[in-house]
Amino acid sequence: MTDSIEPPVKVSIRNLYKIFGPDPKAALEKHRAGMGKPELLKTTRHVLGLSDINVDIHEGRITVIMGLSGSGKSTLIRHLNRLIEPTAGEIMVDGEDILAWNDARLRRLRRETMSMVFQKFALLPHRTVLENAGMALATRGIRRSEWEPEANRWLRRVDLGGNGHQYPHELSGGMQQRVGLARALTSNSDIMLMDEAFSALDPLIRTDMQDLLIELQAELKKTIVFITHDLDEALKLADHLVILKDGAIVQQGEPQHILLNPAASYIEDFVADINRARVLRVRSIMMPGEADGEISGEVEADDNLESVIALSGGTLEPRYRVTKDGKTVGIVEMPMIMRALVPRRSQTGHARAV
Amino acid sequence: MATYDGFFNALGLRDWCDRDAQSGPVSMADLMARAQGGGAGAPDSARSLWDLPFPSLDALAASCSAIPRSRDLTVGLERGFLNIRDALRVVVDPLTQPLSWMLRDALWLMTNTPWWIMIPLLLAVSWLVARSMRVVGLVALFIAILAFIDHYDAAMQTLAIIFVCAFICVLLGVPIGIAMSRNDRLQRSVTPVLDMLQTLPPFVYLIPLIFLFSVTEPKLYGIAIILYAIVPVIRLTDLGIRLVDKDVIEAADAFGMTRRQKLFRVQIPLALPNIMAGVNQTIMMSLAMVVIASLVAAPGLGVLVLRGIRNLELGTGLVAGLGIVLLAIMLDRVTKAALARIDTSRKQQ
Repeated sequence: MTDSIEPPVKVSIRNLYKIFGPDPKAALEKHRAGMGKPELLKTTRHVLGLSDINVDIHEGRITVIMGLSGSGKSTLIRHLNRLIEPTAGEIMVDGEDILAWNDARLRRLRRETMSMVFQKFALLPHRTVLENAGMALATRGIRRSEWEPEANRWLRRVDLGGNGHQYPHELSGGMQQRVGLARALTSNSDIMLMDEAFSALDPLIRTDMQDLLIELQAELKKTIVFITHDLDEALKLADHLVILKDGAIVQQGEPQHILLNPAASYIEDFVADINRARVLRVRSIMMPGEADGEISGEVEADDNLESVIALSGGTLEPRYRVTKDGKTVGIVEMPMIMRALVPRRSQTGHARAV
Repeated sequence: MATYDGFFNALGLRDWCDRDAQSGPVSMADLMARAQGGGAGAPDSARSLWDLPFPSLDALAASCSAIPRSRDLTVGLERGFLNIRDALRVVVDPLTQPLSWMLRDALWLMTNTPWWIMIPLLLAVSWLVARSMRVVGLVALFIAILAFIDHYDAAMQTLAIIFVCAFICVLLGVPIGIAMSRNDRLQRSVTPVLDMLQTLPPFVYLIPLIFLFSVTEPKLYGIAIILYAIVPVIRLTDLGIRLVDKDVIEAADAFGMTRRQKLFRVQIPLALPNIMAGVNQTIMMSLAMVVIASLVAAPGLGVLVLRGIRNLELGTGLVAGLGIVLLAIMLDRVTKAALARIDTSRKQQ
């Protein structure tokens, strides 16, 4: 983001590689020497899971990792709490290399620092909703009388206050995932890992859950790593967007920036079908600085282009002063908005077009 | 002389063969041949290829007495077993002694408690396990029928044996099943043993046990029943734990559960329907075995069935057999009801 200071890095992934197979080290050497994923599979029967991943996950932000199925995104998120062991690389949490930790220390990380929300909810079917919500605290050995108020508080926060005594199978999918969310929140961890958390839900419920997450995040400022294959979801939630393809990062950065400057034709294809007017924000395309000259009105920096077009009534003349927190930060003209609505081609794509 | 003489001569093993040759006839066939006055060797040369015997131990031994006969295999096995028997007894006897005590006490308790205490007690247990009035009513009816035709004592003896043996099966079988589910190598090595225990004809269990223990000891049939009936509870515990949803296990890992916490808070509760199905099977199989075990002095309805066979008392045998069917239905319904109860309250979605 252009308008705030970068918060400190909470989790840092450095040169991470993961290869699945009986002898990953040898396969890694071959891959480093230049062998690609299909050849590696063909000649050595090893599957390249992740290749040279470098991501900084900043505190209090939502980092979205996006990719199609098989791109390695679920593999990547499982490295953060070592549900999967990497073949090579480093994972630093608060400056400490978690790969060096023993089981007990790792368990403490999982119990206290990171919580996880799963695509298929993964609730305990034989426990009540309340017991599921309190699972993280109960695992730490905290007595029921102590975790119960905390679990109840978070269940109320996700609108499940009256469902504590029910069993998961008695709830709908959306409600079950809210239990999953409450379970992660009750653990009071700084970091939340969300593995396609909303992918199994109906579109309407999914939107509700996204809104709920944004609302909670505004209040709690957790460090969230969110996995999705849905670009709309990624753009809606992401402060930082990482796009994976075949186990490697294609592009990462601020989502608006990726949208306006796609680095590869793969990403152009990806972003071709989205509604740019609704996703792009005024701040991403405005001319920063003082607003001089004739001004037709004021818009917020975080307004999307659609609302500005609605405000202008479809004419191209208006110029708007852009404000953030009451201060003028720039100016936006309608032609700038119109230009931004046309997808820009990347370098390679441009060459092809010409 | 015999068919394979030439074979041993050709190999130059004649000296080795005849080194400790016995002159006396050893098999019945030899004696018969001798009694008929036929000279050994003469008819052999006349034999055609059609009569060529398979080169079995006996056929080879006829040509070469240094080769053991098939009978030596069974004799050797018997001698070997008798040789280690005393050593085995020193170890196994004290280990299994509690089983004798438990069986004796259970038999004493269930036959000496007055019926007007015992029957309500059994009904209360059925209620606690099954939580279904229909099942309790069925149990009451069946016990009443058995008591009415004066088979109450025998039925109680059979039940006492089943309770003790099924309890021990669960006590040993569940931990073995859990260990197998967590260790692939252990599973690979235990599975053939389970296969053998399951396919061995039930009577065969009794043979070595008769040599090992005194027939007056209840543990003799106790061990036979346990060995036969323990298989399903081990298998289904192993299977149940392996079938627990991988996603839930991953969630347990992600929230930092230890192996122990995972086992007791996730795996066993979720495997419980399968474990209960195993317990049901175990109880049914111990009922089947308790009848056969009456051959080695297990009391109960099986004795009456056995009497029916031995003395050709058709009525006695049939009535006792039907009594066993009633017991089987009772035990099955009660455990199935418990299983259904667990299944609905812990339904997986």
